[in-house]
Formats: sequence, C-alpha cells, structure tokens
Amino acid sequence: MKVVHEAEVDRDPAQVTRLWAASESFVLAPTRAGSGRSWLTHAIALVPESHGQRHFGLLTSGSAGDPKLVIGSRARAEALAEVIHERQDNDPARQTICLLPLSYSYAFVNQWVWSHRFGRRFVTTAGFSDPAGTRAALEAARDAMVCMVGAQVPLLLQLFPTATFPGVVRLHFAGARFPQERLEDLARAFPNAKVFNNYGCAEAMPRLTIRGAWEAPAAQDVGKALPGISVRARDDVLQFRSVYSATLVVENGVAHAIPGEEWIPTGDLGQVAADGTVLLTGRASEVYKRFGEKISLPQVQTAVQGVWKGHAALYRTTDEMGEGAHVLVLAPAPDDKELKGILALLRASFARPHWPLRIESVGTLPLLPNGKPDLRRLADTARRSTVHWAQRY
Amino acid sequence: MNENREKLRSLLTDVLLLGDGEFRFDLKRTDVDAWDSLAVVSIAVGVEETFQYHMSAEEAAAVQGVADLMKILEGQAIRF
Repeated sequence: MKVVHEAEVDRDPAQVTRLWAASESFVLAPTRAGSGRSWLTHAIALVPESHGQRHFGLLTSGSAGDPKLVIGSRARAEALAEVIHERQDNDPARQTICLLPLSYSYAFVNQWVWSHRFGRRFVTTAGFSDPAGTRAALEAARDAMVCMVGAQVPLLLQLFPTATFPGVVRLHFAGARFPQERLEDLARAFPNAKVFNNYGCAEAMPRLTIRGAWEAPAAQDVGKALPGISVRARDDVLQFRSVYSATLVVENGVAHAIPGEEWIPTGDLGQVAADGTVLLTGRASEVYKRFGEKISLPQVQTAVQGVWKGHAALYRTTDEMGEGAHVLVLAPAPDDKELKGILALLRASFARPHWPLRIESVGTLPLLPNGKPDLRRLADTARRSTVHWAQRY
Repeated sequence: MNENREKLRSLLTDVLLLGDGEFRFDLKRTDVDAWDSLAVVSIAVGVEETFQYHMSAEEAAAVQGVADLMKILEGQAIRF
C-alpha cells in the first residue's frame, strides 16, 4: 500500500489521479500527521491483502483522539460522489476549489472524487494559511463548487469583509456545526451560491445526510439520510449503515472490517424524527470538533495532569463565535510557575484548537457520587471561579 | 520598554503562549510552531483591538516576524 503525503500532492496534484488509476491501494496522509510515520507503517501492516487493490486510506482521529486509519473502496466513493452530485444539484459546477486539507475525507470525496468522476476541474489552494491566494482563487472562480467547514466562516468574514465571489455557485459545509446564523453574510459573499449542509463521519467515507440551507431553520437539523444509507438513534447515540461506508478501520492496533449489515456509531448524539430527519443534539462522550479538528478532552486532561498535580477537569462551552470550546478548571488555584508550566505544555503538545478557552480554578471540584467531576455543576460554579488565563482573541 | 513595545509583547505572548524569556523583537514566524494560520488571524484581531489598526488579509499573511509587524504599525504612526 503506497503512502503519499499531502505535501507531495501539493507539489504534484496530478499524482492523485495516477494513484486512483493504478490498482495498488494508497493512503493519503496529512502533512502534519500527529500519529507519525511509524504508527502509519504499523497500521498499514495490519491491513489485509483483500484491501491491497482499488482501495484508498485516510487518517483521522479515533474516539479518544488517537489516530485511526480508515480504508474505503474507490468504487463506493465514486458511487457516493454520484449521489452527492444529484442531491446537491452540482451539475452546474464546472470546477471545485479546495480550501481544506485534501486528506480530510470531506474534501477528498466531496471534491476530489467528485471532480474526477464528473470530469470537473480541481483547484488546489493553501486555504486560509494563504489568504491572498485563496481570495484570488475565489475571485477567479467560474461556476465553482466550494467546500468549507463552519469554523472557516468567521475567518473568511474577518479576512475578506467586503469581498463577493459571484463565480461560486455551490457552497457546502461539513465537519463542524453548520453556520446557520451566518447565512445572510454568506449570501452577501457568495451571491450566486446554493448552500448545503453535509453531515457524516470518516467511517461513512464520509457522507450520511445532506440538506439545503433553506430547508430547515436550525443548525442541528442535518436533513435526511441519502439513498443507500440508514441512520438511527440508540440511547441517543446516532448509528448508521451505508452501502458507501469505509470497509476497514485500523485503530488501537486492531484492524476491524466493516460488514455491510453492521450499525456503526457516528460519534454524535441525536435523534431521528418520524419523517427521517436527523437532529444532532451534541457530541458523544468527550470528543468534539473545534475548527474542524477533533478534540479529545481526556487527551488534553491527561497531558495537563502530567505537569499539574492538583485536580483538573474540563467542561464544554462555546466561544464568542458560537464554536464549541472547552475550559480547563483546576483545584486548588495554581501559582504562577505552575500556570506557566501548563501553558508551555499546551503549546508544545497541541495545536491551537486543543487549547482551552480559559484556565480557571475553584476551591474544590464538585464531584458526582461516583467520584467523577460533576461537569454540569462545574460549569455553573465556574461563573464564580477565578480566571487565570484566557485566549484573548 | 515603551508602552507600545509592551503592548505588542503582551499580545504576541498571549496569542502564541510564549513562556518567560521566549519573546524577542527579532522573533520570526518560523521560530514558533504555534504561529500557524489561526494565529495569523488572532494576531490581526489583536492588533486591531490593541492598536486600532485593521490589517488587510495580505498584510496579515505577509508578516514573517515581529519586525514585520512593527514595520506595518510604524507605517500607521505607531512608534516603538
């Protein structure tokens, strides 16, 4: 199984086309794979021979934030691209502009596979790490389809407050909360674009539901399952079955084949209405996405506890932009040296989305009868807590 | 240190989570892993709040270090 890193694809975008045409399966790895190459080598060794041809692999984060290799079938991905094309009425789009890392299953299937299947132009950019290049690509767009994550909207509006991109005819969102409350801003910036919300997960490779922005008033309404896909809720945990799903997942040193009849957890909490509409109610367990990155609160807490010997707990909140965030609470209060030690650890160990919005302290952590922190009470208590550090901007 | 230098030091120390002694006025973007694309936006927002100057996207992306930032602000008659 061949491994290709995004940086190589950036230098030679046609490489993906050659990989897709060749029989040998391949893995498209992020340039900054947190997992490291040795982890990937080990994971690939666990992939059975049956997946050695006509498949592709992408890296994502597991439920506890650990790396996970997800393998999909190229034929399934192309079939899903056809369903997405139909549901999003993508036919008028003659090109797609990629503002996300190509190793995201969303960008890879919704954009690259789609462009390949329908013979449309695929335009690469460095996303918002190169605002001028991205703006130029959007301004040069002619009948373009663009995929974004909701967290990019504030960046877009901050960087290009008065710009309009009339050449974008389809604008899709996935990967985080749908920016329902920014639709007016988006309509101004993309006056000719039909906007769609996409919901799914890496194991779905990646799409489960799609809805037009105009079809529902609330972000948590993610629409109905696509043809060939079923979604249900069990104990408020969303599960799916899909004829397009990934075929194999390698996680925690184990390769797990996904049979077609298996119900697979999406990692989200939600409900399915009688008419099939899927309503998200939150993230399962303590893993959620911030700026498109999967955040594992246990992973952050474990790292913090490596340098902080007192009690620590994390609770979920939202930032000023409505994006999910988390707050670190310590007990008792840290001194200046301890606080600096925690900040140094955060910077050294995690990318910015993993940093807490604030570091607070309380005299004593409120606990549940089972001894775990009572996060609901903690969030309430936190209003009376001491703030030691906060992200200022 | 004059007031503006201290404001800039404080802003970058906060955004980049710099520790004691890590901030330098010759610090470059390549010196700090945390100076990523989100930090570019955070710095632009911080500059606007701190110095009341709205950096363009091109200016923000072109900043390769503290010296570039100071040069942009000096162009707005902010003295360091």
